Amino acid sequence: MTNILNIRSITKFYGKIRALHEVSFDVPPGSVYGVLGPNGSGKTTLLGIVMDVLQSSGGEYAWFGQPPSSRHRRQIGTLLETPNFYHYLSGERNLKIAAAIKGHGEEDIPRVLETVKLTGRRHSKFSTYSLGMKQRLAIASCLLGNPSVLVFDEPTNGLDPVGIAETRQLILDLSREGKTILLASHLLDEVEKVCSHVAILQKGQLLMAGHVNEVLTNEDYVELGARDMQKLAALLSGYPGVRQVKPYEQSLQVYFEQNNADLDGINQYCFENGVVLNHLQLRKRSLESKFMELTNT
Amino acid sequence: MRTTLQIEWMKVRNYRTFWILLAITIVSIPGFNYMFYDIFDNKFPKMRGKSIFGSPFAFPDVWQTVSWNAGGVLFLIPAILIITLTTNEFTYRTHRQNVIDGWSRGQFVGVKMLEILLLSIFTTLIVGLTALAFGRLGNKVPADVSIWQGSHFVAAYFVQMLAYSLIAFMMAMFIRRAGLAMGVFFVYLIIENIVVAVCRNRYHAVWVDYLPEEVTDLLIPQPYAKAIITQQGASRWESHVPVYLAVAAAYLLIFCIVSSRRFLKSDL
Repeated sequence: MTNILNIRSITKFYGKIRALHEVSFDVPPGSVYGVLGPNGSGKTTLLGIVMDVLQSSGGEYAWFGQPPSSRHRRQIGTLLETPNFYHYLSGERNLKIAAAIKGHGEEDIPRVLETVKLTGRRHSKFSTYSLGMKQRLAIASCLLGNPSVLVFDEPTNGLDPVGIAETRQLILDLSREGKTILLASHLLDEVEKVCSHVAILQKGQLLMAGHVNEVLTNEDYVELGARDMQKLAALLSGYPGVRQVKPYEQSLQVYFEQNNADLDGINQYCFENGVVLNHLQLRKRSLESKFMELTNT
Repeated sequence: MRTTLQIEWMKVRNYRTFWILLAITIVSIPGFNYMFYDIFDNKFPKMRGKSIFGSPFAFPDVWQTVSWNAGGVLFLIPAILIITLTTNEFTYRTHRQNVIDGWSRGQFVGVKMLEILLLSIFTTLIVGLTALAFGRLGNKVPADVSIWQGSHFVAAYFVQMLAYSLIAFMMAMFIRRAGLAMGVFFVYLIIENIVVAVCRNRYHAVWVDYLPEEVTDLLIPQPYAKAIITQQGASRWESHVPVYLAVAAAYLLIFCIVSSRRFLKSDL
């Protein structure tokens, strides 16, 4: 099946500063693809390039397997960086302009306004909206025409906790409808909760990209505790397949070469070597810890 | 193009500043001309019932007079309108959103130029109607004069208006901030006027005739006091009009290309 988006060796310079360096990955249809990275890592720059508001210094990209064009952008709902609307116009009039540019009629406007709970303020000028309302109007604009592909750059910016939860739910609902979503965020739990795929950027370089399960492969670890932690650490260093043993608070975290942690075997090994465990647990590594390791933060 | 123009209309039809500046333009062209008409009709001495300065508001000179008056200062209001409408897009970052939503960069810049063309046509119509009104209502049409004689000056006003508007547009596209763009636009016009005055009067330089602002200004010679001021170089002016027009057309093309390339090639 044709990928929704193919990104090949995209590079971007701002003067002498290299914002992106040969970034390549593919967004498969139906995926929720998280683009993750700290502030200044190049997430928005990358999305700006694929939406044609920034010029790349090198590389290429394709939408729906074809060279990019304005026709493709009309099929994509995009919220990039900040909500951009005419301040002197009402929310509804702004959506009419967006709908007209996308080549849709105005019949979808009541639905999208209701989805983001702005029906009651549809006649108010955009300049009177709160930050959260502006963000919700931008999401409403993305939903116009029920596009099959959505691009969200920090979609929960400015939203209150309820708004954040609702937006996450909306993204999950859209994903269940089979839509492809490209989501840039520096909020790790946000990406972890909704994304099927992830690309991690740091200082413009792609550190890792793929399915969440692939990115986090071999990243299970075992957390152990005993009365004599030093003896336990020394003992575990000699256990077959152990890659790394590192202390964490009152316990030890043990990483294995092949993700083949056998809790029964470890327990037996420790007991037979004179160490009685008081804590033994298999843990899945969070995206956050993976991200921290990759970005050395 | 019709759809993009309709969208552009959706942007401005509820924008109060647009209507205020447009209303000022509509009122100021006949108003400013009436001020001059009143001065020439009532404030200057007359000989045998006629003003010693001639009849600048009678056919056929009225076309030249109204066009010259409208082009002299009043171009500033449409220029401010163009700068405001263009820089608004940058201020609100809606130029990015329009492209994100599905316009090509060419569509965005193309519809802005079309807007300038329509505004120039509109103000030219106002100038034409004002000239007709002054010529018709204020004076008797001499039997041997067609009312359309001299109406080509209205076309010259159109070229002048288009040139000033495109300079303003170019400033807006490059500077992107309303106040600064207007400031640079005005300063440029003042500097060019000073350069023209100094170089022409002191050094008899001819090249100043071909500066962007001056070359379109020269399409409409000063219309007043034809009866007492010898129109020196009138025949030279007539022979140079095609050259002025060609140079003006080249400038219009350059302004369009430079403004377009700025938008097509830069980060938004």
